Amino acid sequence: MKIVVCCKAVPGAVTDVAVETRGDALRFRSQFQSMNECDEYAMEEAVVLKRLYGGEIIALTIGGVSTQEILYTAAAKGADRIVRVDALAQDPRAASIVLAAALKTLAADLVLTGTQSRDSLSSFVGVATAQRLDVPFAFAVTAIEKDGDDAIKVRKELGGGRSADVRLPLPALVCVQTGIQPLNYVPPARLMRARQQRPQSLSLADLGLTLADIAPRGYRIASVAPPARAAGAQILSGPPAEAVRALLAKMAEAG
Amino acid sequence: MAGDVLVIAEHWKGRPEAVTFQLIAKGREIADARRASLGVLVLGHDIGELAADLAGTGVDAVFVVDHRALGNAACGLLAEAAVASLREIAPALTLVGFTLVGMELAPAIATRLGVAAMTNCVNVECVDGEIVVAKPVYDGALHARVIFDRDAPALVALQAGATPTLPQPARAALVRALALDIESMPRRGEIVQFIEEPIGDVDIAKADIIVSAGRGVGDASKLPMIEACAKALGGLMGCSRPLVDQGWLPRERQVGASGKTVTPKIYIACGISGASQHLAGMSGAKMIVAINKDPNAPIFQVAHYGIVGDLFEIVPELTAQAKKS
Ligand SMILES: Cc1cc2nc3c(=O)[nH]c(=O)nc-3n(C[C@H](O)[C@H](O)[C@H](O)COP(=O)(O)OP(=O)(O)OC[C@H]3O[C@@H](n4cnc5c(N)ncnc54)[C@H](O)[C@@H]3O)c2cc1C
Ligand SMILES: Nc1ncnc2c1ncn2[C@@H]1O[C@H](COP(=O)(O)O)[C@@H](O)[C@H]1O
Repeated sequence: MKIVVCCKAVPGAVTDVAVETRGDALRFRSQFQSMNECDEYAMEEAVVLKRLYGGEIIALTIGGVSTQEILYTAAAKGADRIVRVDALAQDPRAASIVLAAALKTLAADLVLTGTQSRDSLSSFVGVATAQRLDVPFAFAVTAIEKDGDDAIKVRKELGGGRSADVRLPLPALVCVQTGIQPLNYVPPARLMRARQQRPQSLSLADLGLTLADIAPRGYRIASVAPPARAAGAQILSGPPAEAVRALLAKMAEAG
Repeated sequence: MAGDVLVIAEHWKGRPEAVTFQLIAKGREIADARRASLGVLVLGHDIGELAADLAGTGVDAVFVVDHRALGNAACGLLAEAAVASLREIAPALTLVGFTLVGMELAPAIATRLGVAAMTNCVNVECVDGEIVVAKPVYDGALHARVIFDRDAPALVALQAGATPTLPQPARAALVRALALDIESMPRRGEIVQFIEEPIGDVDIAKADIIVSAGRGVGDASKLPMIEACAKALGGLMGCSRPLVDQGWLPRERQVGASGKTVTPKIYIACGISGASQHLAGMSGAKMIVAINKDPNAPIFQVAHYGIVGDLFEIVPELTAQAKKS
């Protein structure tokens, strides 16, 4: 099975977040970038699937050169090839356009994405990409196995403690949920070795795309700020003993 | 009609999910502001009664797509049917829940119809005729305020529990069956079976007090400290998803969109940031308490009382004082 895992580099703690002058994106400062959590789980799942069924794993990301870091992590975890599309996907729609174009050139049997990225919090890119590729998809998947030669069976969450087993003909795209496999620790030595691997770099032009194709469309960002705490918490301050005493009093009042 | 709003209903076993009523309340507000009409779309099988019920919830029209194949179409086909329905109804604004079902529908609809979309929104409103949403970004400590282009269709996925359900005066809603050719739509996968998780040995949904542990507890060895606190208060221990993902606690303890929905008298979140999927499971609690060392954690946006501090200091103190009283 040829598996492509779409991984996103997400910032750690961000500061100085502001809206770009044209209102089409946010800019920010952050100390470091790491692989988005559910993408890490998707990578682990790919490794298990390859062990079971053989094949090849390609890790794919869209981002500037600094996002290459997470591709080395992917390689250390077991990606055979690492590919970066050198572009800035400003919003989920743009990401799905670029991923779909890149995936068309990679011709995978199975595409894995995560369910949600930590910075954009959209849960949008995976299913949108599947629509652009016109392939079967399933969201929030907690188990994957082969079902015959040209299909997989996945378990997907429906919410409220309900799930469903779904049979998807290949090629397919699956949005992997956290917890699908235990996360394996990557030893620094393995990461060092992974750094020797050269990522393949693709430009938008290589994919037949222009900046205009992926420009944000249909909205503008007016502002970004901590939300007003309309009904917000009454903070019980003071040393722990005092704060806790106040809390127990409030709890007693509430019955 | 220009400005019309459409809610896509979510339902299970013949009953609308709570989020459907929240979407209808929001939809009504916006439709009224734009002097437009509000419709609700129901897709499924054997949903005649459900459609009739929804006709009395303050909407102007109920659009029904009733087909056997949609009864258990959790992915592909449901999206196909929704896309085809929207082509026919052509609303200016579509509202779906940011639920596990909506997370599949929203991107599918937006992509296929080329509609601008915002997901994971905490609010949507009509300001001077424009649709404005608020959505969390970067772990939820910040909210972006986004304005859709005027006169272009838009789609918004709204968090469950983000808005209250207000009682709607009933209107004489029109119930209309949409004639879609479901049979010839591409299937792209089929459901083999549905699984409903058993309640488990511990039913946190029955507890009056829940003390929940989040990733802030650091590691599994610290959980007895949380459990002791829950016990001292006469409640049960719950948790956020990462603890279950890492195998520290069984799924039956998980609160949230993909876990349990709980409405205890008191919910104490310890080291939980307050992601929308966690809030979806506990925002209905009567009293919410947050213990978190980060004063900007989104959990403080919904908590009634908060203690900003180290849970390793606060929780044992709470246990000790609770035992004394
Ligand atoms: C489709 C989908 C479904 C999901 N379903 C669920 C669900 O059902 N339930 C659920 O919970 N999540 C669910 N999630 C995951 C959710 O998005 C969040 O990732 C998760 O809730 C985060 O858990 P957390 O708050 O415990 O961890 P984090 O977000 O990592 O927060 C940890 C918090 O602990 C605080 N902290 C750290 N140390 C201390 C200390 N010593 N003292 C006090 N505070 C401390 C930090 O300030 C931080 O706020 C779902 C996600 C998706 C995409
Ligand atoms: N820039 C990107 N590069 C690679 N994959 C991405 C990118 N953005 C989003 N994805 C994938 O899409 C998933 C969902 O992201 P989102 O829709 O932003 O919440 C992530 O978990 C990734 O797997």
